[in-house]
Amino acid sequence: MHRHEVIIIGGGVTGCAIAYNLAARGLRDVAVLERYYLASGATGRCGAGFRHQWGTKTNCLLAKHAIAKLETLAEELDYPGGIDLKQKGYLILAYTPRMVEQFKKNLALQQSLGIDARWLTPEEAKEIVPVLNTEGLLGATYCPKDGHANPFKVTDAYARAAKRLGVKIHTYTEVLDIKVEGSLKTVLTNRGTFQAPVVVNAAGGHAATIGRMVGVDLPIKPERHQILVTEPVEPLLDPMVISFYHHLYCQQTPHGSFVMGLGDPNEPKEYNERSSWQFLVQMAGKIVRLLPPLKNLRVVRQWAGVYDMSPDAQPILCEAPEVPGFFVAAGFSGHGFMIAPMTGQLMAELILGQPTSLPVDMFHLSRFSRGELLIEPSVV
Amino acid sequence: MRIEQHPILEFRRGKKVKFIFDGKEYEGYEGETIAAALHAAGIRVMRESPVLHRPRGLFCAIGNCSSCLMTVNGEPNVRICTEKLREGMVVNSQKGKGVLYEKRS
Ligand SMILES: Cc1cc2nc3c(=O)[nH]c(=O)nc-3n(C[C@H](O)[C@H](O)[C@H](O)COP(=O)(O)OP(=O)(O)OC[C@H]3O[C@@H](n4cnc5c(N)ncnc54)[C@H](O)[C@@H]3O)c2cc1C
Ligand code: FES
Repeated sequence: MHRHEVIIIGGGVTGCAIAYNLAARGLRDVAVLERYYLASGATGRCGAGFRHQWGTKTNCLLAKHAIAKLETLAEELDYPGGIDLKQKGYLILAYTPRMVEQFKKNLALQQSLGIDARWLTPEEAKEIVPVLNTEGLLGATYCPKDGHANPFKVTDAYARAAKRLGVKIHTYTEVLDIKVEGSLKTVLTNRGTFQAPVVVNAAGGHAATIGRMVGVDLPIKPERHQILVTEPVEPLLDPMVISFYHHLYCQQTPHGSFVMGLGDPNEPKEYNERSSWQFLVQMAGKIVRLLPPLKNLRVVRQWAGVYDMSPDAQPILCEAPEVPGFFVAAGFSGHGFMIAPMTGQLMAELILGQPTSLPVDMFHLSRFSRGELLIEPSVV
Repeated sequence: MRIEQHPILEFRRGKKVKFIFDGKEYEGYEGETIAAALHAAGIRVMRESPVLHRPRGLFCAIGNCSSCLMTVNGEPNVRICTEKLREGMVVNSQKGKGVLYEKRS
């Protein structure tokens, strides 16, 4: 039997960031339970991009604060090798008048919050991405401070910093069931029993399963997203290129390889981490039309991961009303990597009962029963 | 020495063809691999290692190891140990990771 103050279920970037933030605030008797290895879930499978360019004030602020933290994360966590941070912007392409209208609204909002994002004509977009095929393009938005980081390194940096502060990390430890007796939660795993008054559900695509163990109904569904990586070549693509119209994103990592993915609007909501040849064919076809010189690039590997989708594509960050001491940090709907530094901080503040550094009420689970969805217009 | 038997490729020696390697003209036989033609011409260094820039030669010879990547007719990262030679090919050795696209200004 292991006794702790806090048990965190899930060793992705979210779980590790929460663990570090608790320990950094003095709550060091924390255990992280991870079914496989750290970052084995969505975190290690993700595109790892971060952007300021969102369509709601909440997300703009969350992203802005989280990215500011990513910029100095290696120093904050004393991670000498760095996190492969690249800030060469996101270029978000507009193909329909409705997109133009929405993107310009988003820009006005972003600019009002001090985010340096701007509108580009197709010609200006081509100056930033010379390989871009601008056929049919009406314009694009661009924020030079957007970028990406290495998700394995970010997770590892949090995990190591947390461990140095006394956090225990148990990998290959799968949570099988949770019993709630009074304020005490007993967590049964394949590697023994853990007890704590506070349990945090950071189980990503498995969050609903963990919720059911304590009788908390979480409207979170896994949805497969596929992605691939190519051989490396000399730098030629500065920003991440996103097209909501084509449901795709593509970026070149500092190592020189291209990482790109495609959302399939017809993807069934089920737990599926297998990759398909159909994705390879579709992805290649679309990207070669958009960025033609990529036709001579070889694909090295493809894989899939799941988005933990919530009904409004926004995370659920709260203490479950029915089960005091049971906290939820899940439902990230495809953008949980970039906000993880803030998720970690806000969740630690919630758990410690401290005032939160940004408002979090709108992320409460109860918004769904109240019908107050936080619809974000800009998701892939 | 000329490579004539290959573990995974079959090549019949075709007619003599000319090709360009790093700006100089060479001869080889149609149907053999580019690496076979270069090897016969005494060329042993195929590329340099990406980090320490050390010379790399033919290693696996079956297209698996990336030891022989060159730019062929403008396409970077071609495994010349499995790519067959054709008349007039322009083959260039590669520094760094290969250039996919050169911005023309
Ligand atoms: C293809 C793809 C591309 C993406 N691109 C981006 C992007 O560009 N930018 C961005 O910000 N986000 C992106 N995301 C989303 C991002 O990956 C996730 O939102 C983020 O990683 C969530 O982290 P997490 O720690 O909450 O979840 P996860 O990383 O999924 O971690 C949950 C962990 O819980 C563990 N677990 C589950 N059940 C149990 C159990 N019973 N017992 C113990 N452990 C358990 C899992 O093994 C897993 O490691 C992408 C996702 C995918 C799939
Ligand atoms: S020598 Fe190994 S790929 Fe050519």
